[in-house]
Amino acid sequence: MQHEVFAGTEDFGGPDIVAAPAQASRPGVDAPYANYELGKPYDEMFARDGKARLPYATIDSRISTLPLEELNRRQQACELSFLHQGITFTVYSDNQATERIIPTDLLPRIVTAKEWDRIERGLTQRIHALNLFLRDIYNEGRVLKDGVVPRSMIYGSKHYRREMRGLPVPHGAYVNICGSDLIRNEAGDFVVLEDNLRVPSGVSYMLANRDVARRAFPAVFRSMGVRPIEHYPLELLATLRSLTPFHEDVSIAVLTPGVFNSAYFEHAFLARQMGVELVEGRDLLVNDNVVYTRTTSGLKRIDVIYRRIDDDFIDPLIFRSDSALGVPGLFNAYRAGNVMIANALGTGVADDKAVYAYVPRLIRYYLAEEPILDNVETFLCREQKSLDHVLANLDKLVVKAVGESGGYGMLVGPHASQKERDEFAEKVRADPENYIAQPTIQLSTAPTFVGNGIEARHVDLRPFILHGAETKLVPGALTRVALKRGSLVVNSSQGGGSKDTWVLSQ
Amino acid sequence: MLSRVADSLYWMSRYVERAEHTTRLIAVKLDSMVEQTSEDAAASWSRVIEALTGEKTAPLHQDAFVITRKLAFDRSNENSLITSLALARDNARQVREALSNEVWENLNRLYLRLTPVTMDSIWVHTPGRLFREALEEMHTLEGVTYSTLSHGEGWYFLELGRHIERVQQLGRLLDVHFSAANSETAPKYFDWLVLLKFCTAFEPYTKQYTASIRPQKIAEFLLFDPEFPHSICFSVDRMTEALARVAPGAPPARRAAVERLAGRLKAAVDFGQVDELMSGGVAAFIADITKQCEQIHKALYSSYITYGAETVL
Repeated sequence: MQHEVFAGTEDFGGPDIVAAPAQASRPGVDAPYANYELGKPYDEMFARDGKARLPYATIDSRISTLPLEELNRRQQACELSFLHQGITFTVYSDNQATERIIPTDLLPRIVTAKEWDRIERGLTQRIHALNLFLRDIYNEGRVLKDGVVPRSMIYGSKHYRREMRGLPVPHGAYVNICGSDLIRNEAGDFVVLEDNLRVPSGVSYMLANRDVARRAFPAVFRSMGVRPIEHYPLELLATLRSLTPFHEDVSIAVLTPGVFNSAYFEHAFLARQMGVELVEGRDLLVNDNVVYTRTTSGLKRIDVIYRRIDDDFIDPLIFRSDSALGVPGLFNAYRAGNVMIANALGTGVADDKAVYAYVPRLIRYYLAEEPILDNVETFLCREQKSLDHVLANLDKLVVKAVGESGGYGMLVGPHASQKERDEFAEKVRADPENYIAQPTIQLSTAPTFVGNGIEARHVDLRPFILHGAETKLVPGALTRVALKRGSLVVNSSQGGGSKDTWVLSQ
Repeated sequence: MLSRVADSLYWMSRYVERAEHTTRLIAVKLDSMVEQTSEDAAASWSRVIEALTGEKTAPLHQDAFVITRKLAFDRSNENSLITSLALARDNARQVREALSNEVWENLNRLYLRLTPVTMDSIWVHTPGRLFREALEEMHTLEGVTYSTLSHGEGWYFLELGRHIERVQQLGRLLDVHFSAANSETAPKYFDWLVLLKFCTAFEPYTKQYTASIRPQKIAEFLLFDPEFPHSICFSVDRMTEALARVAPGAPPARRAAVERLAGRLKAAVDFGQVDELMSGGVAAFIADITKQCEQIHKALYSSYITYGAETVL
């Protein structure tokens, strides 16, 4: 009794034999799926008739041979592994700091080779268009002159950085690391919900989830031909290197706000996996427009910075002067071409929710191609016709402030009270340009282990795109899960978790 | 290596060493107290408290439960086992990229296992067991550090932290025993035996000097034995070696400032004579060694970690 504190093991269990396909499980009937609800949204595992989709057959037959306690044990092993690795965030209450793990679910989400092919082509197309757009608005502004995008929307955006005008950027690649949020609509098609072009995070969870899911279902994993993702840090390193002409002999650093940042684990993880320095603002100094780190042996020059700090905080001399996270003089060193920064500054203007609505038009404008991946239908409140429609249909729509992220500043119409809707309508009327609206999109559902069984939970998909001299996607993604039944909010800051994503090779 | 990283590695290692020392003292004391009269046990506990916290306490009013709680689990006590471990872990977390996964996970796991422990839960049966198990984990951590980290600059900063801390802790422990040697609460035979156990030195000592336990021989062994890992001499040797290996590219003038101090400390230990020390000189000798360690610590920082950037541009 007294030394239970010394118990606890990350043992995931013995070899995981794939059983011969048993009777396929029926949601809402068979354990452990007794409480599995198939609703209007697309379900990743079960077709509308309740039959398990083909890619899920192997994992289904494996799960059906495991008692609930065994699933529970493996789930706990996953969580313990996260805890030991320090994949945690800190919750403060009653002067006590408690560490919680970022929830992980052991059941993988599967993406077929065909689906992935379309995602890969679609996102490659999209990042090309977005980078061309950024180069355009920071240089000649053709897209504005041609009236494709309203001038005021760009120059009025709080993420537009005048300081970037006319600055050459290697390969025209402003966005080097992008994490786009995709959802699957009722018809089963992937559509883009959001582009994250500033400092997207989550890639370390993609890799950490793989690590535990592979251990939870080793034989299933092996038999299914899941494409590897472990080379992501290598590809990231290659992308960062491609930003300078020196390539091999180049000194790279990951710039983190520090240990109190919620993504600190990821910053340290990427630095370690790439074999580069992890630095904080206080480790860097700029002299004569050259960036140095302070080392025990003296100062050492830095050529490329993968920054995980927002634009606003990166250089107190140019942006927010009260920032203690950044490096005074960094921007001038960047202007002088003595250091490369990834992502470039000012990319936020293009992942604004208002610009989002224009991305399909941007793809046609710059690439003369039809978008491979659709957007979610979006109403721009700045257009009078749309505004009227939005205000008349607030109970059916999700309204979002364009400059916010992480699930803040939004109204989910169908779930809000009349009073909340009325208050929000006032805000929208007062500042229509700041709002967009979308139909209540139904995120697809995927099987998620909930302790006493497996239930359907809403998920999205965040693949990570790298873009330097070339564009690369590692065949994997972070699948975020809304852990509360019925909830559509997958953000980890608001009770979301994540699970591994298996992209199949055929 | 980044100066900030060197700083965190150094302190991580100091706190791990402090935690290990605290754990060992508690474990040994809890085991040995059952063989002592309550007066002797109380005197011995108050020496432990003084060695670990610097507080002089009157014997007799001590209760092992209360003392153990304070030394092990009291987070408001800046020298407690749990505080040291928390600080070690905070430093490690800041330099995750400079540590191996194994090192971080061992340290993290140890901390997470000790965090929920309550005194009531360990006091029921064999209170010493938890601390013995924690010591085993700490030895594992030391082994994992040795075998999974490259023995480069970072590792030598860990070595520096470990051995500077060890000299200071060992110094205090010897001080509280030898400075009371002629008073009425003078350590008895059994206390000298326990002192050796505090330093994991009992068997190595008997191999050298047989089982005859004599304070002078103990002082000689723990101060000057070049081969025993918990002797002052051993730690000073490791410090000197580590200092020669850190900051390889630093300008000679800054290196010289540190190495001169290290050389002086090494000479003091290499040429120290125990018979000269026994007439009350042990305390003075230790005070001198401790002061020199502090000077080395300061020089280490001003040469390699907090130096002004303008001096090198």
